[in-house]
Amino acid sequence: MSKNYYELTYIINPVLEEDQFGAVIEKINKLITDNGGEIEEVDDWGLRKFAYEIDKKQSGYYVNMYFEAPAETINKVERTMRIDDEIMRYLTLKYDAKMLRHRELVKKNAVPDIFAVEEEQED
Amino acid sequence: MIKNPSHPKKSVRKVKQCKFTKAGLEYIDYKDVETLQRFTNDQGKILPRRVTGTSAKHQRQLTRAVKRARFLSLMPYVAENLR
Repeated sequence: MSKNYYELTYIINPVLEEDQFGAVIEKINKLITDNGGEIEEVDDWGLRKFAYEIDKKQSGYYVNMYFEAPAETINKVERTMRIDDEIMRYLTLKYDAKMLRHRELVKKNAVPDIFAVEEEQED
Repeated sequence: MIKNPSHPKKSVRKVKQCKFTKAGLEYIDYKDVETLQRFTNDQGKILPRRVTGTSAKHQRQLTRAVKRARFLSLMPYVAENLR
């Protein structure tokens, strides 16, 4: 079974208690690993203000994660997230070659800065 | 005819360049909200290519990135003061 590299960002309902966020993250992680996935990184952004209101709420708890998994896993994970009331939104992206190269740069902290180039231009 | 090359009416056309191509960026990340905001106006609309000078290829990527950021409420669909 071939695996793909995915990025998943989801928003957890902010009305939960502090320790419940961890439980939700744990649950999603377990779901991925139980379905043959391998988690690479879980980046917890924490509570963040929304740019616009979602379900009458002003902020949400963001979780951004990277993992490798077979394609069927995504179906299961997305179905669970859709049903789960605690998860307000989710976005899964499958990485292609370009995105993987970009990801390597992010890991090395070597993403080309477009602002730096711009300032040079203004001189 | 204006002979003077520095005459204001004979302004040199500024050559626009795609910032993404120049920086050698291959993928525009929806999480990089600060960068994306530079390519939207104060209403939250994506600026056209003729304004920013972005290449067609990167404009398509940029559009996708902005739309993803909007979906996750990282960026507004419509600015707060206009809603």
